[in-house]
Amino acid sequence: MSRGNGNGNGAPQNGDARVGVYVCHCGVNISSTVDVEAVRDVCASRPGVVCSRDYKFMCSNAGQDLIKKDILENGVNRVVVAACSPLMHELTFRAAAEEAGLNPYLVQIANIREQCAWVHDDRERATAKASSLASGAAARVALHRPLEAMKADVNPATLIVGAGIAGIQAALEIAEAGHDVYLVEKQSTIGGQMAKFDKTFPTLDCAACILTPKMVSISHRKNIHLMTLSEVESVDGFVGNFKVAVRRKARYVTDACTACGECLKVCPVRVPSPFEELQADRTAIHKEFPQAIPSTFVIEKQGRPPCRQACPVHQDAAGYVSLVAEGRFAEAAKLIRRQNPLPSICGRVCYAACEEACNRQSVDKPVAIRDLKRFVIDWERKHVGEVEPPPPENRHPESVAVIGSGPAGLTCAFDLARKGYTVTVFEKHKKLGGMLAVGLPGYRCPREEVERDLAYIRKTGVEFRSGMELGVDFAMEDLLSDRPGFGFDAVFLGIGAHRGLKMGIEGEDVALEARKRGAFGVITGVDYLRHLNLGLPQETGKKVAIVGGGNTALDAARAARREGAEVTVLYRRTREEMPCEEDEFDDAVAEGVRFEYLVLPIKVLGEDGSVNGLECLKMELGEPDASGRPRPVPITGSEHVKEFDQVIPAISQRPIWRWLKNWSTQAEADPSGHLSFTPWETLKVDPDSMRSGHPKIFGGGDVVLGPSTIVESMGQGRRAAEAIDKQLRALPLEDFHTYVPPRDPREGFEERPHSYAPRYDETPLAPRTPMPKRPPEIRVGDYQPVDLGYSEEQARAEASRCLKCGVCVECYECERVCEPGAVLHEMTDTVKEIEVGQILVSTGYQTFDARKMMQYGYGLYDNVLTSLEFERMVSSTGPTGGKVLCKNGLPPRAVGIVHCVGSRDENHHPYCSRVCCMYALKFAHLVNDRTDADVYQFYIDMRTFGKGYEEFYRHVLEEGTTVIRGKVAEVVPARGSNGGLGEHLLIRCEDTMIGRFREIPVDMVVLCNALEAREDASEVRRTFSLSRSPDGFFMERHPKLDPVGTTTDGVYLAGCCQGPKDIPDTVAQAQAAAARVLGMIAKGQTLIDPVRAEVDAKYCSGCKTCLDLCPYAAISFDGEANVAAVNEALCKGCGTCVAACPASAITGAGFTDAQVLAELEGILAPPPETTTAATEMR
Amino acid sequence: MREPTTHPEWQPRVVAFLCNWCSYTGADLAGISRLPWSPAVHIVRVMCSGRLDPTFVVRAFRMGADGVIVSGCHPGDCHYQKGNYKALRRVHLLKRLLADFGVEPERLRLVWVSASEGGAWAKIANEMEATVRRLGPLRLEPDPRRDEACIAYETAPEAEIPPGPPFSKGGAEVSSSAERGVS
Repeated sequence: MSRGNGNGNGAPQNGDARVGVYVCHCGVNISSTVDVEAVRDVCASRPGVVCSRDYKFMCSNAGQDLIKKDILENGVNRVVVAACSPLMHELTFRAAAEEAGLNPYLVQIANIREQCAWVHDDRERATAKASSLASGAAARVALHRPLEAMKADVNPATLIVGAGIAGIQAALEIAEAGHDVYLVEKQSTIGGQMAKFDKTFPTLDCAACILTPKMVSISHRKNIHLMTLSEVESVDGFVGNFKVAVRRKARYVTDACTACGECLKVCPVRVPSPFEELQADRTAIHKEFPQAIPSTFVIEKQGRPPCRQACPVHQDAAGYVSLVAEGRFAEAAKLIRRQNPLPSICGRVCYAACEEACNRQSVDKPVAIRDLKRFVIDWERKHVGEVEPPPPENRHPESVAVIGSGPAGLTCAFDLARKGYTVTVFEKHKKLGGMLAVGLPGYRCPREEVERDLAYIRKTGVEFRSGMELGVDFAMEDLLSDRPGFGFDAVFLGIGAHRGLKMGIEGEDVALEARKRGAFGVITGVDYLRHLNLGLPQETGKKVAIVGGGNTALDAARAARREGAEVTVLYRRTREEMPCEEDEFDDAVAEGVRFEYLVLPIKVLGEDGSVNGLECLKMELGEPDASGRPRPVPITGSEHVKEFDQVIPAISQRPIWRWLKNWSTQAEADPSGHLSFTPWETLKVDPDSMRSGHPKIFGGGDVVLGPSTIVESMGQGRRAAEAIDKQLRALPLEDFHTYVPPRDPREGFEERPHSYAPRYDETPLAPRTPMPKRPPEIRVGDYQPVDLGYSEEQARAEASRCLKCGVCVECYECERVCEPGAVLHEMTDTVKEIEVGQILVSTGYQTFDARKMMQYGYGLYDNVLTSLEFERMVSSTGPTGGKVLCKNGLPPRAVGIVHCVGSRDENHHPYCSRVCCMYALKFAHLVNDRTDADVYQFYIDMRTFGKGYEEFYRHVLEEGTTVIRGKVAEVVPARGSNGGLGEHLLIRCEDTMIGRFREIPVDMVVLCNALEAREDASEVRRTFSLSRSPDGFFMERHPKLDPVGTTTDGVYLAGCCQGPKDIPDTVAQAQAAAARVLGMIAKGQTLIDPVRAEVDAKYCSGCKTCLDLCPYAAISFDGEANVAAVNEALCKGCGTCVAACPASAITGAGFTDAQVLAELEGILAPPPETTTAATEMR
Repeated sequence: MREPTTHPEWQPRVVAFLCNWCSYTGADLAGISRLPWSPAVHIVRVMCSGRLDPTFVVRAFRMGADGVIVSGCHPGDCHYQKGNYKALRRVHLLKRLLADFGVEPERLRLVWVSASEGGAWAKIANEMEATVRRLGPLRLEPDPRRDEACIAYETAPEAEIPPGPPFSKGGAEVSSSAERGVS
């Protein structure tokens, strides 16, 4: 794939090249391993080389002058410097060449120090290799072409990532000079780790006193654009012109916040505060610390509670549960009514998707959310009485008809009425409620509860017309016509699925037919329940078989028990696969309902409608079917007869479409559309808008879903109401806000409910409060409610089991009390695009997890603290108000301070964390200052290197601190005076000064845990194209000469993200970085390496191979000329396309095929005879 | 094509193509940390491992290299987003091709070395020397006629591209290792 000058002889093809080679001794760095003179001589013999020299220090002025002189006087027009890495001095030598009038890109470096002299000890081989590398460079440079660096204007705005003391200092410096700064901080406040400190060594000034004025200036500066709770998502472009995408996470509180703190009083959530190192609690809405900047409060949401996520009506479950736990039942009731128009019913008979999703089940049993709702609504009736729904938001002239008063219809009607529409509900039965009225037995939900919810809905102005059957009392066309009493603008069809399916077996039809003559042998579950609920004549047999395993089957079974029958439920799979609710099943068993599994009826036995038995087959479980449940397979020859006098199939239900006949024929004539149906006879609707084929008819509930649950139907009614509203307001049917539960509501909560909580397996158990029930033997005698409901104490105890998933439980109490209206729970993340010229990364550090050194007992013993925990303890705003106290509330008698926890330790971090010795001495001083305790320091080496540090050390020693030289072996609990363990701790170590093993009894141990690279360092590294040194911190461009630059031009480092350092060093580095930034802004322009790809249209065959390879979409295709072209501004010069071009039509400036091949040939060329001889002579 | 004879004076030579951002810096780090590695390995810097033209590898072998290392940033870490994946694909194919031509695929090695992995680089370089020593010199038979034809083909102006190079089956003329320039 190469075209051009690469050849087999190693001879440069550029006859005009006059190469000068300069071999550096680098003092003795190179010359001690490499025979520099021999390298020089080898290079001298290479083609095109006109002079070859060696010099002690090529990078010195004198060394550079050698090159300049040769260029000016000896006509050298290509330069090879064999010296240190090009990352070190390439720019130096390029500049030297340029000063002598030579294009800087005609210089090539051979790296014979880092990659040769420093890593080899065989002098002969090192010399041979250095000669090869230099020869390669000479061969390559001969083919170099002059290149022009691209100039780009520098955008004077700067991005600073991380607003600890480093970011704050640099931002202030740059802003002071008059330039814009975007300061991005991940936390909700700026200040970083320094904000947590009490005093700072060695001057002992208070950290807050020196930090907070700077934080305030940040908020006052107009040209500092502060973005808290924000993270940089991507960085594009290059030095001078970066395009940065910043994700601004939702704060849920707007700038209108006055920080009055009213919300803190009503928030029912307490979680350990990360700012206080989890030693004190805070609320979900909070401010990290009093002086936080910005002072706007923030709500912490680590995902939405799964109970709420799982609910089709998005009921605020976690919110009201938390309020119940606090005994705030009235607020809880209000919250429930926010989303739920049928709370009395849902509190009793909802299938509780919330409980299925409840994370508490990973600990023990889910919280009894439904029972708590019932408690709250019952409490409301007793203590609040009648409740008024909120008035409608608007008034609209349109009217809507809702057919069917089931949960779907009621929810749709309620929502539309609240939106301001005139709503009329048509119900076929006299009794309102749809399936709630005719399907739900009174022992589960008494009629008065249904009436209570209906009364509430009525108050919104919904008109109910009961006893009006579609297709009998009115027709669909009436609704949409102008007939008086009709003339609706939209129709919601919520007629449910009231037709029970037959089993389809022999003898069944005869028996069903006989019902007309008064026989009761076979009746479907829905019909049976309807007859009982409406008080219609219905006989029940003595021995009743219920066929099916769903909720209708169990309702029918328990109702039949109440009618005095002996009831057996026949189900063709096993208990595992039964779709009914667990509670329901348990209650049914308690009430004496028998269950037989793996049975399939195949024939109804009996004559003329009277039944005397069922012929059944035994089944076994086979492969899973489409629903994922194992398919029941009949066992041949297992036919047997069971004796029954009544069979109630409750297999499935279908909507009733009798009424449709007339109307659909008319609708077909009307081209505006008509209804269509699924193979399951349910109504086909658009899943987003719930609109049917007819533009004015919407549907929802069982008529769409088939037999489903109350709350799913409510969800559909709600979505339809939103769609109808949109349609009537002439809005497009898209962007719906009403809720659809995600597939996995527990996603993101796999290990723990929120990041401050223990893992599920470490959470203390708390049994679920059982629901008090009437005894089965009494309750089977009537239709009175089975469940009695919780007492206040039971409810509060049950509610306190809630794990507060995601921290904020969304009770909206803060929103309620916020006078400026600053709380906005619906806030979402936004992504802001900013353009900056330079970037400073100052993302800081984290502390080493002391749990990793189990021998020190952190996490095991109460009074073993980390340095930051102690730092908060001694802070006057901290959890103890600045008092040094053990967990038992008493001051310690002795405190041990253990140095180097995780630092200077081959098992963890080999490096020194640099600040620990000093803060340990500070701690010693503070303990001496505030208690009478003895202080012991356990150190390896005392490193007090800074200005005033050694003096501070001496001062602390004079205060009476005992220092013991030796690494601590372990911290163990000691036996107290009464023989009990854990009264105090023993620190075991070797005292290397006296050469003895020692045990020091203390009450408190403070671990000086290491500073380490942040957990997210690898993502940050990737985002900003940084490198990390082996210790994990970000790598500076040069450890000595460029400690603030990075290998990516225009990106700088400051503070502990580059390595552990104290505050003075951090501030100094930040100021240095600011100076670098300001320098480039002052220059106004930057040069960009001209390493770019270029297409030679002459050779391009138009194959388009390169187009997909380019990660920057820098290659475009000119269809007319049938050639590819590279956009110079977008190309970053990786050369992937160059390597792939089958026609070698793309060249990469600075790395052409010919240049790379020439380098190869130079490296692999045989050594010239003369040199070999010369080497032998030595 | 290859004789198992080893020349006592033979020193293996390995060429390593290292990406500028991760691996080259990583190799420098080995130097700064004074971690010794094999002097057989000669580094050629490229901007990205995606720049690796398979021709470079083949030509390196033909010019006398006994082994070739290609090193880029770790997967997902490429400075140019995904150049290292391109290198991965190319090297995989190339290894199969090399095997077809009788070159042991172990002579070509693709590795990922980050800027902080000086130790890893040193280990890889040392391993490569050991591998090549075990395999012995790569004695590709040069055919001057073929080389000349190749040169003529590659250097000719577009208009006058001569007919393709005559590829001889089984080396026509055997030349000594000295001619090839094995030191």
